[in-house]
Amino acid sequence: MGSLHLFKPELLWLLPLCLLPLLSYGVKQFSYPGLEDWPKDKISDMLRWGVRVLAVLTLMSLVIAASGPFTEGGTVTKIGKGAEIVIVLDRSGSMDENLVKQDPTIRVKGVTRIEASRKVLLKLMDQRPGDTFGLVVFNASPIAVAPLSSDRDIARAALKSAESNSSGFTALNRALEMGLDYFKDRSYTATRLILLVSDGDTKIKPEDQAILKDMFKEYRAELMWIYVHTGYDFSLEFEEDISKDDGAVDPNVALNQLFHSLGMPYQAFEVNSEAGLQRAVAEIGRATNKPTRYEYRLPRQDYALYFYMLAMVLLGVLFWLKQIEIKAWRP
Amino acid sequence: MAQQPLIHYRVRWRPAGYQPGAGHGRVPGAGDQLRSVVPLRDHPDPRRLDLRTSLRDPFENIWVRDFYLNSALKVIVLVDTSASMGYVGRVHRFKVAQEITAQLALSAYRTGDAFGVFAAGEVINKKRMLPPKANRSAWLWVKQHFSKIKPEGQHAEGLFAAVPYLPQNPCLVFIISDFRWPEGRLKLLLKKLSHHDVVPVMLQDPTEVDALPRRGIASLTDAETGEKQFVWIRKSLRQKVEESRIKHIKSVNEACRILGLRPFVVKGEFDTALMTEYFLGGGNT
Repeated sequence: MGSLHLFKPELLWLLPLCLLPLLSYGVKQFSYPGLEDWPKDKISDMLRWGVRVLAVLTLMSLVIAASGPFTEGGTVTKIGKGAEIVIVLDRSGSMDENLVKQDPTIRVKGVTRIEASRKVLLKLMDQRPGDTFGLVVFNASPIAVAPLSSDRDIARAALKSAESNSSGFTALNRALEMGLDYFKDRSYTATRLILLVSDGDTKIKPEDQAILKDMFKEYRAELMWIYVHTGYDFSLEFEEDISKDDGAVDPNVALNQLFHSLGMPYQAFEVNSEAGLQRAVAEIGRATNKPTRYEYRLPRQDYALYFYMLAMVLLGVLFWLKQIEIKAWRP
Repeated sequence: MAQQPLIHYRVRWRPAGYQPGAGHGRVPGAGDQLRSVVPLRDHPDPRRLDLRTSLRDPFENIWVRDFYLNSALKVIVLVDTSASMGYVGRVHRFKVAQEITAQLALSAYRTGDAFGVFAAGEVINKKRMLPPKANRSAWLWVKQHFSKIKPEGQHAEGLFAAVPYLPQNPCLVFIISDFRWPEGRLKLLLKKLSHHDVVPVMLQDPTEVDALPRRGIASLTDAETGEKQFVWIRKSLRQKVEESRIKHIKSVNEACRILGLRPFVVKGEFDTALMTEYFLGGGNT
């Protein structure tokens, strides 16, 4: 809890106006030939002051409410189990292809890879309430869509809005660098995980490999690759590409080998089935048993509403008093 | 001024003075009430020859009848013009006072009596006074001048200053006021006027007595002092107000009773028939 602040303190200059009800009686006046008929009545006097005080309080609460009082929420350090997970999501054109193996002659629109990934990731988020998520999407260049924060709604909304868009080139290395950059200037409080969701099909140049290696080392991050895998793609397990005669390997297999060689903890999951997802989630859970310590910024507390409510109640009472006011001097 | 029957006021004494009028006077003259039978040589008017007495007289003197003069009365109205007389409730109080004065003026003229008016608030209003004279247009004068009077002032002490302006011999004096005076002032004024025949005319408005609002809040302004009071009218307070009204009326009655008088109360509009009834029912005594 912080101290009380005002959004528009200059409005407090209106406070002297609150004394206006003290100047007048505020009720209809009648002439009477001789007040000696009316004995001094304590209840009437009390009611008279009551009406004035009510009016003063009403005006005061309105002025104070208009000036917008609030207290700063401050920040709290929360300790939670979980990891800081930066999802690096591929939205290249190839992610728009169907996930399920099908007869290429029947062009029926099935579930695309990116849709499947989104589903998987949203499920992951729901299953891991203690984790901190950030999101980078990339095709030809990476976009930092959601910062690393415990605010789930941003990440979730960003994830939902990620659509694949072909631009012919997949900047995997720069996306990974951007994702790793999220960890910059953050104290190491939890397991750091780069969760790459991609269908691969790209290469990382040797000079970029060195940079990535350094960064992973500096930020002590782990890498997990959820390989969104079509049934007829090659599995990462294949050592050699049997379709090619020259003994060259499939780019994805090569990428897998490259990640293994970078030196950080690395795991790859081929997701073309429910089982793959379960395995991935279980593995992430195992990797994040270290407690996370993170700063949580509380929203500021706005008190104007209470003052407006108070003013409403007081106005109701004043309205009632106005109702019982004598409008015409007759029985 | 609405057309109303004349007020037939009556006094129980014989007015002095040689002005012929409608009342039974005290001096000999042309009248309808036998005063005595006198010898013709004392009152040489053979038209009034009293045959019966003359024939019965063994000394054969001629006797004539002598009558009391039907003499005129002096009707004087004292009007309170303090601020409380400007109260407007169901009726305009000062308009009622004007109505009463004008009706009395007209009735006095028709009866052949002299009529005079004195208006006073804190001081006597010398511009608006009419010495008692037989005056045909007195009621018009009242209409004209009273509409120019603005009731003001916190008390009606000026009425005491009007007393010396009154004739020395007894007159019929009306005091028109609401008698919201300090305790004892009415009694003192009545004492000063004790050799006259006084009719206190008490003006009341239904709105200040029995037509108070049933409940609610309001702020009251005293017409005389300008003081303000916030009131929450409810049953208990209304009862207290009614009690104090009754107390006030009682005190007026008491002050009058000591001087052998009876106030005439006008509630709301003035009705001349009620005043005639008042005089027929014993008048102010």
